[in-house]
Amino acid sequence: MNDSTLILTLVAAIGLGTGLVFATVGEIITERAGNLNLGVQGMMLVGAVAGFWATFNTESLLLGVIVAMIAGAAFSVIHAFASVSLRVSQIVSGLALTIFGTGLSSFLGEAGEDPLVGNPSKATFEPILEGGLADIPVIGPLIFGHDLMVYVSWLTVAAASYYLFHTRMGLSLRAVGEDPASAESAGVNVARVRYAHIMAGGALAGAGGAYFSLALVPTWQNEPIGASGWIAIALVILASWRPWRALFAAYLFGAATRIGFTMQTLGEPWSNIPSSLLAMLPFVLAIIAMLVLASGKRARFLGAPAALGLPYFREQR
Amino acid sequence: MTTRRFIVEPRGLASTGLILAVPLLSVLLAVIVGAIFLALTGNSPGEVYVKMLDVSFGSSRGISETLISATPLILTGVAAAVAFKMLVWNIGAEGQFLMGAIFAAGMGIWLGDGSPAAVALPLVIIAGAIGGAFWASISAVPKVYLGTNEIITTLMLNFIALNFMNYLIFGSSSPWRDPLVPQFPSGRPIPDSGRIPEFFNRLDYGFIVACLLAILAWFLISKTRWGFEVRVVGDSANTARYAGIGVPQKILGVFLMSGAFAGLAGSLYVAGPVGALDPRSLDLGLGFTGIIVAALARLNPVAVIPVAILMGALNNAGPALQSIQVPAATVTMLQGAILIFAVAGEFFIRNRVRRPEKRLEALEEVSAA
Repeated sequence: MNDSTLILTLVAAIGLGTGLVFATVGEIITERAGNLNLGVQGMMLVGAVAGFWATFNTESLLLGVIVAMIAGAAFSVIHAFASVSLRVSQIVSGLALTIFGTGLSSFLGEAGEDPLVGNPSKATFEPILEGGLADIPVIGPLIFGHDLMVYVSWLTVAAASYYLFHTRMGLSLRAVGEDPASAESAGVNVARVRYAHIMAGGALAGAGGAYFSLALVPTWQNEPIGASGWIAIALVILASWRPWRALFAAYLFGAATRIGFTMQTLGEPWSNIPSSLLAMLPFVLAIIAMLVLASGKRARFLGAPAALGLPYFREQR
Repeated sequence: MTTRRFIVEPRGLASTGLILAVPLLSVLLAVIVGAIFLALTGNSPGEVYVKMLDVSFGSSRGISETLISATPLILTGVAAAVAFKMLVWNIGAEGQFLMGAIFAAGMGIWLGDGSPAAVALPLVIIAGAIGGAFWASISAVPKVYLGTNEIITTLMLNFIALNFMNYLIFGSSSPWRDPLVPQFPSGRPIPDSGRIPEFFNRLDYGFIVACLLAILAWFLISKTRWGFEVRVVGDSANTARYAGIGVPQKILGVFLMSGAFAGLAGSLYVAGPVGALDPRSLDLGLGFTGIIVAALARLNPVAVIPVAILMGALNNAGPALQSIQVPAATVTMLQGAILIFAVAGEFFIRNRVRRPEKRLEALEEVSAA
């Protein structure tokens, strides 16, 4: 029963979705502060290479993830400085971060005397429970069969949700995203809040990237994350800026990414569907969801922060 | 009260010198950042930069290859420039470029050998523009009539176009695929009547066409009534509405024009140096590089031309770096760094930063009290 195509696909969807969960929750936190960071793809790639490098040199997965998060957060400061301090267009600044991050990640993977490229990771995330609980039908593989990072991602979602909606700092963060001028009148430092949450988003994107290079594709290659950073930006909208919804939206996209492989295992006639057409599925899904859920005023009802994308001019209040 | 360390004031019109200095400084700073990363990874920055200059500008063949690389970037740069000027965030030049290439190659293959170049060539090039505009319309129409965010839809369409091209060549026996080499999937060459003639080494007249199209875009935006109304919409949609300008039509028009330019990049590339729908030559991120070109050219379609030549030179030098054991990704890294500095430089073009004067500060304090 646990070897059925459905269960295997769902388990794989959770695995493939986990990198997306980290990145999407990070971007939700950033956007809740009113800042749109299109640099997710770049931050994930920088995290992926930094995490892989750290684990490669220390054989420690923990250090790999920590270094990836530091790298992602440090890298996101470029966007924070440009969009918050210099108040240039958040869209162009985020795109710049992605282009630079993509190049930097590939460069660091290939450069030097003994480059990382082509090397397998010295350690990878493996399921923590073998047998026992993980053998229980259905819920065994779905709940107990994962590696540590999947459980960390669930904790991250719970923590982010609690932080956003049940803490004082979460309230001031959301106030900054809705109406920065009023938040500032109430004594909140808008620039500081935005910097902090852009960096939090960068750290989580870095962790998401490291999940790809240390668990999903544990041999270094250029751009191991596919288009996940871009997908994460779409997922924020589908999740209507709420962490718990992001978890399920990410798994849905994990399943959509897995569909090509699943079709192969089903045999004729399913295996005849060209993989390049199936590879379109996550992107088609994102567009349909955008059209249905997030057109026009509906985006506001979904919970889009009112000041999202707008620079804040303190002097022009 | 706290004393401010810097005072930031909006600048009216920036001087020409400043507008020229910012992009030049951006390139210089990016070169320095690149040098730091090269040195950290045990490479000699000087050697790498000399090699890049030599590959791209050191010989007549190098120069012609640089201009070949620049040709699609001129058009994807114009595509981004006209859209961003209107605050239409078309991040989909990549997909529109590929769809232009697919349409252009399709037209060339469909026409076959029978038609004269005077008929075939214009049709091939126009087919690319239609392909790009069609692909943009999938984002543009929902944006204008439903209010759907175009950033996400244009982005996602990039990946759909890429997978569609891969399907045509690797996943099916479509007319685009070369039937003569079934074991090695590649694009079917388009007939010579659909190819643009070469005039300087491998450089074809597509480069000249791209330059003329960039000037045409500048003329349309700066010198026509339509362009004036477009600029009003870009500055303030409300003002435009009061003035009786049809805002939705203008946004739709600019979005489709942007897509058509990206599509033209695809058709000139297919009808020029590539000669077939070849995924290996087309999947190079030329649409994204167009965004860098547009930003560095400060969204001016004519300034796009020299910037595209610079970016083309970098793209051209990338593969050659591997011969001296330096990653080709050095180029992407440099281009990204250039964009970051150019974006930050925008702040200094728009604002003046100065130290507060002691005397004025005292006055301010008095008046505040």
